[in-house]
Amino acid sequence: MPKLGMRTRIILLFIIVSIGGLVLLNNVFQSKHEIIHNSLGKMELSSRLRELKLHSREDSLKAESLMKDFNSTKAVLITSLGDSRIATSVVLFLIIVISSTIFIFVICRLSKPLKELKRATEQIRQGDFSVHLPETGIPEMKELKNSFNVMSRELETTQTRLLVAEKEMIWKDLSRILAHEIKNPLTPIQLVVQRLEERLEADCDTIKELLPESISIISQEVDNLQLLAQDFSNYAKVNQPNTEELSPALSIREIVKSYVQNYQINLDLSDTLTIRFDKTHFYQVITNILQNAIDASEPDKAIDIRLYKERSYAVLSIKDLGKGIESKDLPRIFEPYFSKKSKGTGLGLALVKRLCEANGAIIRVKSKPAEGSEFTLIMEDVEK
Amino acid sequence: MFELLGSKVMAGVVALSMLLFSSFQGNDPQLSHIKHYSSSSTLYLSGELLSAFDNDFSTIFASSAPIPVYFKLNIKSGSRTVLSQQLTHLVSFNPATGIYVLRKDGEPEVLRTSSVEQIIKEVSKYRFNIPYESSWGLININIQAEMPLVRLEEGGKEMDLMVLWKYKKPAAKILIDLRKAQ
Repeated sequence: MPKLGMRTRIILLFIIVSIGGLVLLNNVFQSKHEIIHNSLGKMELSSRLRELKLHSREDSLKAESLMKDFNSTKAVLITSLGDSRIATSVVLFLIIVISSTIFIFVICRLSKPLKELKRATEQIRQGDFSVHLPETGIPEMKELKNSFNVMSRELETTQTRLLVAEKEMIWKDLSRILAHEIKNPLTPIQLVVQRLEERLEADCDTIKELLPESISIISQEVDNLQLLAQDFSNYAKVNQPNTEELSPALSIREIVKSYVQNYQINLDLSDTLTIRFDKTHFYQVITNILQNAIDASEPDKAIDIRLYKERSYAVLSIKDLGKGIESKDLPRIFEPYFSKKSKGTGLGLALVKRLCEANGAIIRVKSKPAEGSEFTLIMEDVEK
Repeated sequence: MFELLGSKVMAGVVALSMLLFSSFQGNDPQLSHIKHYSSSSTLYLSGELLSAFDNDFSTIFASSAPIPVYFKLNIKSGSRTVLSQQLTHLVSFNPATGIYVLRKDGEPEVLRTSSVEQIIKEVSKYRFNIPYESSWGLININIQAEMPLVRLEEGGKEMDLMVLWKYKKPAAKILIDLRKAQ
């Protein structure tokens, strides 16, 4: 049975109560009329009066007049009773029809602006604050609509202010981070340049001795600057994924190849799984997580990578025994520019999350300080 | 036309209201199928009212007031009304003698009887004798019965006896081709 709305329930309740009450009242009325009608039908005078022996003409005329009066009154009563019963039922019928019509009309008039409000609220919920309701209807409804319009205007203004403030905050944060990150490699470069200048002024013949080290430092720091630029660039342009079917086990083995000489990485990979993922994105995701695990771990601590099937999903777990993440920091680790590392832009895990979302994968993290962290990547297994 | 529509709407409302809310019995009058035959110049139409006077009319007829019952005839040839005629049956009652008297328009004989059943039977029957012209061709005959407002008691208010027919005006129709009738 379909669920009835409040308006329908009120209308139904009204109709049932009004019709029920009126029918009950009418039944009482009709039954009383029936009793009177039957009693009238039984009243008979003429035949009995005719049986009487009347001795004078005067008595006969009186009796005749009495019979006439009695019969005509009886006829009037019978007709009036019928008229009254018909009139009652017609009036009741009309009352029900008219009152129900008026009631339904009023309810519709009242609920129409409520529907408009509902639609407008829905628009606001979807972020469209430009909605404006015509201030029509009964005074209370006009007031309500006016309040709603004021509210939507204020919300729009507040949203604009918030957007401006948010943009400003982002730019400030970004400028601070960029300034900090650019300053880090610039300081050693500046120091090297200063030392070279000093040596040039003091003893220009021996400057060659300093050159290899200075070049190496400058080169190293330029590399760092390039990496920084690359990180920002990568985060800014997460392209539409060009997904393809790939074997996650095979890809992970390729990625890990360059790490296994220096780090202890244990692999437990199911080769039967196939996922749909952008290959470059997958590489970026695994590299970022693995690099984080390496950064967080002591060199002698192993990193476990497991790939297994759970229901229709391919689940990849990268677990380290490093320093772990504080529980208060866990909700923020995927936010851009959030980092606890001395070196880093805080864009790595934010990028990982964006790439996972773009490829329809889910990423979860479990971590305990001093015990390590486990990043789990859940992807649909498309192997038939 | 509006009067006809109004009476039909009213009859419909009354019928529906009574069906829903009333136990009033009243009468449900109907006109029987119109019987007809014709001579060279006269068309004879007859029929009767059915279930029109079964309830309450014995009291109404006994009221001493003359009670008229009308039979209205309307003959149309195409859309043109060629004849309108009305028959009146008048019932009166003498309380002193207990005799009912029935007078019918166009009939010289007067019925006198103490039997209300016989009066009801006779008042229900009608008969029209219509002098016709063959040029009428195909005619549409419509007969309708009704009762007027009647003052049942001296100095009293006029009562609408149609109440006892639940405001229904029984009617009967027939199509006759006078060219074939000849």
